[in-house]
Amino acid sequence: MPTDFLTVEGLSKDFGGLRAIGNVSFSMGRNEVIGLIGPNGAGKTTLLRLITGILKPDSGTIRFKNTDIAGKKTWDIVGMGIACTFQNMRPFRRLPIIANVMVSCLSPRAMKRGEWVKKVEAKAMDALEFAGISDMALEKASTLSQGDLKRLEVARAIATEPELLLLDEPFGGLSPAETELMAKSIKRLHKGGRFGRLHSEGPAMIIVEHKLQQLMKIVTRIIVLDFGTVIADGTPEDVVNDRQVIKAYLGQGGV
Amino acid sequence: MGMLSYYFRKSLTVCKDEVLVLPSRVAVGVFVVTILVLPLFSQSPYLLRILILSSIFAIFAASWDLLSGFTGQMNFGHALFFGVGAYSAALLNIHGHLPPWASIPLGALGAVLTGLIVGIPCLRLRGTYLALTTLAFPVILLGIIFAVPDITGGELGLSGLSRLTGSRLWDYYLTSVIMLVSCAVMWKITDSNTGIIFHAIREDELAVRASGINTIRYKLLAFSLGGFFAGISGGLYAHFMRIAGPSTLEVSMSFTVVIWAVFGGIVTIYGPVGAVFILFPLLEFLRFWPEYRTLAFALVILLILLYMPEGLFPYLRDKLETQCPRCKIRNVAKRKTCRICAAPLN
Ligand SMILES: Nc1ncnc2c1ncn2[C@@H]1O[C@H](COP(=O)(O)OP(=O)(O)OP(=O)(O)O)[C@@H](O)[C@H]1O
Ligand SMILES: [Mg+2]
Repeated sequence: MPTDFLTVEGLSKDFGGLRAIGNVSFSMGRNEVIGLIGPNGAGKTTLLRLITGILKPDSGTIRFKNTDIAGKKTWDIVGMGIACTFQNMRPFRRLPIIANVMVSCLSPRAMKRGEWVKKVEAKAMDALEFAGISDMALEKASTLSQGDLKRLEVARAIATEPELLLLDEPFGGLSPAETELMAKSIKRLHKGGRFGRLHSEGPAMIIVEHKLQQLMKIVTRIIVLDFGTVIADGTPEDVVNDRQVIKAYLGQGGV
Repeated sequence: MGMLSYYFRKSLTVCKDEVLVLPSRVAVGVFVVTILVLPLFSQSPYLLRILILSSIFAIFAASWDLLSGFTGQMNFGHALFFGVGAYSAALLNIHGHLPPWASIPLGALGAVLTGLIVGIPCLRLRGTYLALTTLAFPVILLGIIFAVPDITGGELGLSGLSRLTGSRLWDYYLTSVIMLVSCAVMWKITDSNTGIIFHAIREDELAVRASGINTIRYKLLAFSLGGFFAGISGGLYAHFMRIAGPSTLEVSMSFTVVIWAVFGGIVTIYGPVGAVFILFPLLEFLRFWPEYRTLAFALVILLILLYMPEGLFPYLRDKLETQCPRCKIRNVAKRKTCRICAAPLN
């Protein structure tokens, strides 16, 4: 059932002969938090990259707030309110951590918002505060640990104050304690509100994750991809009991 | 009178608190003052000529750093902008009868336009491909210049441009001041929010796009700014030498600017400027032993690259200053505690 918020229809993407995404359709509402799961190589990252315009789809449409964004420039899509994190973190290594976030704060979308605070550094600092790495603001990004790089990714993404947040394995490489913290931050972010000078719209989210246990606690709906196609879409309970899903995961060696 | 002494005292305070605390700032201060007072001690036309050309090439080297050092858009054909600046100024001066104060800025705008034109195909290219493509542009322009010798003077170039000013001394002051102002502006740009985005594009362009920044716009901005300042230096060169010839577009011109920048230290602006003021006079000095000139020059460069891969000036700076581990403010290396936050330095 299409919604006004995000509707993906008949989306396909090939890499050479490999069909990474084949005829994927789904839609989500403004307040949903969706878990996107599937075995390695299922096409999860590719799907997120198609939505953010990093990759151009071969066919299909992506409607965000009643505009077709398929094939648009990434910065325009971010400007409309979609932000993403990278699975294999991509910080600006030789820049201080705060400068990493200032880049997002300098985007036209971030500059237009924040009615009473325009100060870029202050806003970047609040995004770092939210992600829990503000004490390291002046260090070079290359000095961060794996877990802190994940948080930097989140800080960068929320600095544009998105309405739809795409998180690619936010728990990847985190210790159980760090995972717990990150899960809490994500929930808090979804509730929305003000974090210092930063305003959270309470973004809708698509979260790609392999750690299903933690994921189940956050999401209200799960979409399962396998070989680039949607094989299940429903509540967490329905999905874990779905025969096809079990087969896809077992065929890969289990969860 | 009261106002005057107020400003005098204020500038003394600034000098004491901001400049004298760091060797690098003292060095910049000494450099600026030396440049400005030097003619009081010597007005030898030969010395002034070397320094004038050093100033001109310093702008050129810094403009390469702004484009290639900061945004990582490796430009191996930077002579293109120098040549366009020189030829445009010459054409405007000789055929359009415009004085230098008009022909040089207009020539620089020509270089900006060139920057936009070559920047667009360069947007999609990276690394070696970008380097090779940029290498070709000045060669293409040379071809065009040789194709229409009636307008461009062909092999001989355009000569007989009007002088910059009436005397060597005024030439010196004009070029020095333009050099100091241009380099200060370029440094300020790299130190601004725009500079942060330039840095970030060099680190990871895709991540910059995903942060909502229109990278096309910023890369073209970098090409235009690099083109503008290189065009200014080209125009100054043409009017000072009173000729704009094919040598301004030669491959060696493009390479020399890279050598200067790498020698002095890229991503600094001050590094390439300092490098020109060392290497250009050195090359002139070596003229007395023509048989060893190139060899000695190459040896100096090689030694620097081997022992100071960051470049000469960042190397010296790291020897003389340390960064506070806590507040990241720079301090004189011999201090025990940070001058701002008093944290221990080690
Ligand atoms: N740029 C690319 N060029 C060629 N093939 C690609 C490219 N990106 C992804 N692929 C291929 O497309 C398929 C889907 O990859 P994708 O990264 O989307 O999987 P994923 O579900 O995110 O996997 P993982 O759980 O390991 O992150 C894989 O077979 C991958 O090898
Ligand atoms: Mg992936």
